[in-house]
Amino acid sequence: MSNPATKKPMPLVALSIAFIVIWLMIAAFPFLWTMWGSFKVEGDFFSRADWMNAITGPATQLQTGGRFTLEGYYGAWVEQAFWRNALNTLIVVVFTVLISLTLGTLGGYALARSGFKYTFWILMAALVFRAMPHVTLVSGYLLPFFELNIWGHLTTTIVVLVAINQPFTLWMLHSFFLSIPKDLDEAAMVDGCTRFQAFRLAVIPVMWPGVITTGLFSFLLAYNDFTVTAMLLSEENTTMVPQIDSFLGSTQEKGKVMYAVAAVVSAILPLFLLILFFQRQIVSGLTAGAVKG
Amino acid sequence: MSRLQLKNVSKRWGSFVGVDNFDLDIADQEFLVLLGPSGCGKSTTMRMIAGLESVTEGEIWLGEKMVNKLDPKDRDISMVFQSYGLYPNLTVYENIRFPLRVRKVPKEQHREMVMKAIEMVELEEFMDRRPAELSGGQRQRVALGRAIVRKPTVFLMDEPLSNLDAKLRVSTRAQIKNLQSKLKVTTVYVTHDQIEAMTLAERVVVMNSGRIQQVGTPTDIYNDPANTFVASFIGSPAMNLVEGKLQDGLFKGPGIRVEGLPKHASGNVTLGFRAEDAEIVPSGGQIAAPMYSIELLGEASMITWRIGAGLVSVKTNKDYRAEIGDVVEARIPAEICHLFDTASGERIKT
Repeated sequence: MSNPATKKPMPLVALSIAFIVIWLMIAAFPFLWTMWGSFKVEGDFFSRADWMNAITGPATQLQTGGRFTLEGYYGAWVEQAFWRNALNTLIVVVFTVLISLTLGTLGGYALARSGFKYTFWILMAALVFRAMPHVTLVSGYLLPFFELNIWGHLTTTIVVLVAINQPFTLWMLHSFFLSIPKDLDEAAMVDGCTRFQAFRLAVIPVMWPGVITTGLFSFLLAYNDFTVTAMLLSEENTTMVPQIDSFLGSTQEKGKVMYAVAAVVSAILPLFLLILFFQRQIVSGLTAGAVKG
Repeated sequence: MSRLQLKNVSKRWGSFVGVDNFDLDIADQEFLVLLGPSGCGKSTTMRMIAGLESVTEGEIWLGEKMVNKLDPKDRDISMVFQSYGLYPNLTVYENIRFPLRVRKVPKEQHREMVMKAIEMVELEEFMDRRPAELSGGQRQRVALGRAIVRKPTVFLMDEPLSNLDAKLRVSTRAQIKNLQSKLKVTTVYVTHDQIEAMTLAERVVVMNSGRIQQVGTPTDIYNDPANTFVASFIGSPAMNLVEGKLQDGLFKGPGIRVEGLPKHASGNVTLGFRAEDAEIVPSGGQIAAPMYSIELLGEASMITWRIGAGLVSVKTNKDYRAEIGDVVEARIPAEICHLFDTASGERIKT
C-alpha cells in the first residue's frame, strides 16, 4: 500500500469510492424498499396519498398499533400455506440441480476428452436449444403431458427443467474439463484406475469449483423459473414464483398484495445465504500451477 | 522376465500414419531411449505401450503376455509425464501413495513403501506440501516417486526433463540414470534431446516420420549413422553433410575435394564428417574457402564455411584467430568420411 508507484491520487480515490457507494445504493434500493415495506400494511406500502407513507407507516400504526407488522408474512406463510410452495421449490430445485450436474459432469467430461469432430456439433445443437425461449418448448409439451396424464406433477417439471438446463451445464462443464490437462486422467489410469475411477478420484476433486459454479447457475434457473412452473404445475403443486404471481394477481382482495411482498422477501433470503456460503468455491483456480510447471 | 516386445506395431488415424511397422525387442532391465524430432511417432509408440493409445496393427508383448487389449491399469507399468500429471488436491505423500491406494495394496505397507520412494527422490522435507507449492524440479521428482513406489515391470518416461531449466535437467538426468540402475527395471524413455539420449541410453532408437531409422548403442549411432537423417540429428554440432559427385575414389563438391575414398561407389553422393574429426591446416587442405564465421565455444573454436547450399563446421583449438572472409583450409582425411547415397540418404557401406 505504501508503494508510491501504486498510490493513486486522492481525488481519484474519492471519486471511485463515491461512485461505488452511489452504485450500491441504486442497486440495493429496490431490495431494501421491498424489505422495509413488507413489514407495513397495504395502505402504506401502496399509498395513493403520499409515497412517504411507505416509510413512516401511519396506516400500519392505525391498523395494528405498532410501527411494524408481520401480517403479510403471517398471511402468506400460514393462511395461504406458502410453506408448501417453498417445499415444492426445494424439491424441484434440489432434484434439478442434482440431475443436471450428474448428467452434465459425465457428458461434459466425455465431450471434453473425446477426439471426435461430432463433439462440436453436439455442443452447437446444445447452444441452439439453450437459446430457444422456454415457452416454445413448454407449449409443445402441454398436449402430450395432458394425454399422458403426467401434467401437474413435480416430477414432470423437474424433467423439463433438467432438459432446458442441460445444454448450459454441458457447455459450462465441458469448458471446465477442457482446462484440466489430459495428463491428469492418463496418470491416474496408468497408476491403476479404470476410466471411471480416474474421473472420480483424479478429475472430480480438481473440478469442484467448476461443479459448484455450474450447480449454482442451474439452481438459479430452477429457482427463478416462471414459464415452466406456471404452465406445468397444478394449483396444489405450484412453486414459490408462480404463487407470488398469483398473490399479485388478486389485487381486488385487500391485503393479499402484501402477501406477495412478504413472500418475495422470503424468497430472496436463501439466495443471499447460498452465494455467501459458496463464494469461495466459486472462485476457481485450484489447478493453477499444479499440473504444469 | 519383463522383456518388452513390439512386433510390427503400427498406428494409423485414417490415412495418417503415426507409427509405421515398429519392430523391436527390449531386453529385461534395459534402458532404451526413443529419440526423434517432434511428430516422429516416439510418444505415440510409448503411449501404445502404456495402453493410452490403441494399436492399429501388430502386437505388444510384456513378458509372456500379449497386452494389446489390456487397459493401462492391467499392464503393470508406470509412467512419468512431461507435464507431471500430479494430483493438485493431494499432498506429495498422498500423490505418491495414490497408485498403492487404487491398486489395493494392503494399507499397513503403504507408509513404508511411500517413505522409501520419497527417500529415493529426496523429497522428505516436502512430504506435506501440495504440488502447487513445489518448484518444477521437485514436481518432477514427485512424479518419479509415484512411478517407483511400486515395482512395475516397465517404466515409461515421456520427455520428463523438457519442462525443467538447463541446469536442473543435468542433475535430474543423473538422478534418473542412478535410480534406474538401482531399481533394475526395464525403462523406455522418450526424448527429442540427443544429449539426453546419448547420456542415458543403453540403446537408442532414432525415429523419423513414424519409422525407425536406426537402433544401436549411443556409440554406434554416433560413429556409424545409418543414413543422413541420423547423421544430421545426432551430435552437437551435427555431422557436416556436403553433396557432390564421387568417381574413382575422388569426391568433388563446391569448394571441397577428398581423395582416397572407396572406389566401388560412384555418382551423386553426400559426404559426411564430424567437426571434431577434421582439423584446420595452414595449407594443402581438402577444403579451402573463405571463412563464414568463427565462434568460441569455450574449450574450442568452431570455424564455419559456406559450402554449396549448407554450412560446414570444423573444430579447432580455442586460440585460433582468423578474420571472417579469410581463406581457411581444413584437412579432411578419407578415414573420417562417411558416404551416403544422395537420392535415398542411405549410408554407402565401405
